[in-house]
Amino acid sequence: MSDTVLVVGAGPTGLSAAAGVASIGKKVILVEKEAVLGGAPILSGYAKLVPSGEWAKDAMGRMIKRVEGNPNVTIHKSTRVTKVEGDAGNFTVTFSNGQTANVGSIILGTGFTHFDSINKPEWGFGTFEDVLTTTQMEQMVATGKIACPSNGRVPERVAILLCVGSRDRQIGREWCSKICCTVSTNLAMEIKELSPSTEVFIYYMDIRTFGLYEDKFYWKSQEEFKTKFVKARIAEVTKSPDGRLLVKGEDTLVKRPIVIPMDMVVHAVGMDPNEENPEISRVFGVGLEKHGYIDRGEQYTSSFSSTRRGIYVGGSALGPEDIDTSISHGLAMAMRAVGDLNALVQKAA
Amino acid sequence: MAIHEKTLIDPDRLVSSDTLVVDGVDVSGHWNTMILPRTLRTYDDGFEKHLKQYAGAENMHRCWQCGSCTNSCTMYAQNTDFNPRYWIYLARLGLTDEILKDKDIIWQCVSCNRCTNICPKDVRPEGVMKALAHWIESEGHGDKCKSTIFDEEFTRQCIARGRIEDSEVMTNFFKNTQQDIKEMALNGWLGIFVARMNKWTELKKGNVFKFLARTPIMHSLHMGLAMFFKPKTKSWGRTGEVLSQYVKEQKELAHG
Repeated sequence: MSDTVLVVGAGPTGLSAAAGVASIGKKVILVEKEAVLGGAPILSGYAKLVPSGEWAKDAMGRMIKRVEGNPNVTIHKSTRVTKVEGDAGNFTVTFSNGQTANVGSIILGTGFTHFDSINKPEWGFGTFEDVLTTTQMEQMVATGKIACPSNGRVPERVAILLCVGSRDRQIGREWCSKICCTVSTNLAMEIKELSPSTEVFIYYMDIRTFGLYEDKFYWKSQEEFKTKFVKARIAEVTKSPDGRLLVKGEDTLVKRPIVIPMDMVVHAVGMDPNEENPEISRVFGVGLEKHGYIDRGEQYTSSFSSTRRGIYVGGSALGPEDIDTSISHGLAMAMRAVGDLNALVQKAA
Repeated sequence: MAIHEKTLIDPDRLVSSDTLVVDGVDVSGHWNTMILPRTLRTYDDGFEKHLKQYAGAENMHRCWQCGSCTNSCTMYAQNTDFNPRYWIYLARLGLTDEILKDKDIIWQCVSCNRCTNICPKDVRPEGVMKALAHWIESEGHGDKCKSTIFDEEFTRQCIARGRIEDSEVMTNFFKNTQQDIKEMALNGWLGIFVARMNKWTELKKGNVFKFLARTPIMHSLHMGLAMFFKPKTKSWGRTGEVLSQYVKEQKELAHG
């Protein structure tokens, strides 16, 4: 019997879960496969986070500091879990560095993988230098200067294409990635702030800036930053002889084909299930749901349970998720894990 | 091949030549009909800003195309080509060629303001309709409407002399709108109008005195005189000059 909690993944979910468990006086082992903590916001170099507007490195920095300085938390970087044996309350886990540990429960904050735009070749990513993803554009925003990668000119027009790698049966992505609309409207504002002469066009099928993101992001980008929303799903991105990009599609409101010159095209890439989920599923013995995300166990009285007792899952490992919600998943899992362990201890006594 | 469903194609995109011979083959008439592509090739990024110089369009950039304006529109109920939502979209992207296809109906907005009252984003579509109509007219994209031509003549006389002469306003209005006064008086509504006003029927019946009693002789004389003598308001002096300078400045202020 162990009341130590293993947290896998040190992104927003894992960092929150680790801090949560430690704050109620239990021991935490935090493993992260990368050499740095912080997860996608740090690894992909996000700029300002939605909705706080804080720089990712500052916001995540505080979350990292909170666990790094905590005597209840043991951190293993560049480490994976290779084997999980035993049952709830008494798991023996083996790490890639050869060490083992005895833990009572396991929290998975294993996150997602950004959609790779190469899988939609018709939209020009990988073919044209001036076609970027939202994460690359965030990195450009973080440098403080908006310029076309091909020749450094200030773009007159930037097109952001929504639903790249989401809501697309052709490539087996039948889900909405939930956060790209908000990220894109935020990005449009950031572009405009740095480069006021640039016109930003967002090509959309629907705008899904849920909850309070509606006016704080969608309305604000439209009303204060004059972002233009064009209802069209782009069919193809090509290059014109003058070096500019051409976005081709149908403007469904004008009911006319369009071929519009743009200087940069940004793919609002969706959230894929973590590409390592098959491996995670095998090692931890947890099931995957039909899209490849980690499956839930029981939803209402044991929220965040996976299909294996004693193993919990939350954040974007469950499906596309925003950072704030992932953080609350982390805390909820901490509560769940420690609560279930207490029940086991009482039962044994 | 002949194009059978020409109704599906905008007439201005159908191009054909009555006589055409290619490589010795006669392809005159519909055999050489071509359809110009309907692809939109660019936006006019500056148009939205330009239109906003006209009063009413200030909030147009807020539109998210829900269609509440069109749904509630009094004119849309009469004519489904009258579509405020669509014009606001076109205006935002600067698709002016598309807007001008509807230049003959945009002015028909009756300003009932149902759109403005229902709009969830406070776009004030009624104002956008006004701005569009003003843009079309003042930048020469469409014919001046008759009321504008009337206003111009009226204002011209006001500024020149501080007063108007009714007969001169009307004659110049008819002239500027290419209406033939002589024809209207002899065979049109003007003759009937004047005759009725003057109790012409009494004269026909032989009631000369009744007729004369109702005929505005002095007024007619006054009107006739005013064709030649055009008095100014007392102490008008340079007022007209100052007024026109002020109007010019205000216009420049509004439209840049």
